[in-house]
Amino acid sequence: MELNGVMTKQELIDHIKAHFPGPLEMIETKQPEPYFIVRPEDLVAFARFIHDDPQLQMNFLMSLAGVDTGQRCEVVYNVCSYPLKHRLLFKILLPRDNAEFDSVLSVWPAANWYEREVWELYGMNVRNHPNLTRFLLTDDWDEGNPMRKGWTGTDFITLPDRG
Amino acid sequence: MGIIKKLPVYAEHVPGGGLVVTSINSVLTMSQAKSLWYLLFGTACCAIELMATGASRYDFDRLGMIFRASPRQADLMIVAGTITKKMAPRVKRLYDQMAQPRYVLAMGGCAIGGGPFYYDSYSVLKGIDLVIPVDVYVPGCPPRPEALLQGCLEVGKKIRTLKLDEWS
Repeated sequence: MELNGVMTKQELIDHIKAHFPGPLEMIETKQPEPYFIVRPEDLVAFARFIHDDPQLQMNFLMSLAGVDTGQRCEVVYNVCSYPLKHRLLFKILLPRDNAEFDSVLSVWPAANWYEREVWELYGMNVRNHPNLTRFLLTDDWDEGNPMRKGWTGTDFITLPDRG
Repeated sequence: MGIIKKLPVYAEHVPGGGLVVTSINSVLTMSQAKSLWYLLFGTACCAIELMATGASRYDFDRLGMIFRASPRQADLMIVAGTITKKMAPRVKRLYDQMAQPRYVLAMGGCAIGGGPFYYDSYSVLKGIDLVIPVDVYVPGCPPRPEALLQGCLEVGKKIRTLKLDEWS
């Protein structure tokens, strides 16, 4: 399956691998968009590259989500290009303790609230974010980051195992 | 004379005169029960069913129920949908703004007890009766419009049991 874009999936992969200087890992999926793993220190450079490159023009951040797998934390970015009609997925892998990543706010301003959400619900710190303040949980919330694995709260009830 | 024939319980007419004898209590409670203005509080999918009940097929208006967007003008609060912990203080605040006597109808599983969000949820309030008193519970996910109509009639029944000195 291919997206109805200017470049096919393989062309996208080849172009990005040929022109981005840093190391990139791929995740093989059957999805129509390529899926990269980017080193956390390359994050802003990679975002700037796919945003500015004239053959990519990834000008729209569709989604930015945190993940806690139990062993490590991840941040997944879904981006697409309005003019060229193609999409791209990439993610960064972070240690579970003291996870910290750079803000991509300078590339996509839409990342503002997404990064606040990741900061609030997962407890990952976002560097260079201008407004890391609480906005999803209650104002007097003091029970930590509820989307972390193994989190429990005062009236949190785990689904009983029904066998 | 038609209304007197229909309402022998509440009214009694004086023979020979155009007068009706009744108690203030009957008139007040009956008129409130027959013109329940409700506060729209649709926060999730139950609100769709509430809209369906208000629209022409089921027609809330035939019970004298008109939606109000302001708590100051409402007698009944129909909480239709999931109430999160962040929403809970706002529910309490809107309830406090309603004029007495005031009634609350909890519509659907979420408003009654958290519903499908009872387990494994950090954000959903486990029933609005933790925040405000509830008069009638209408279970369902979401309830059919018939169930909601029945619930509103139950609120009407409860209103008619009210005594005048309980009005405050």
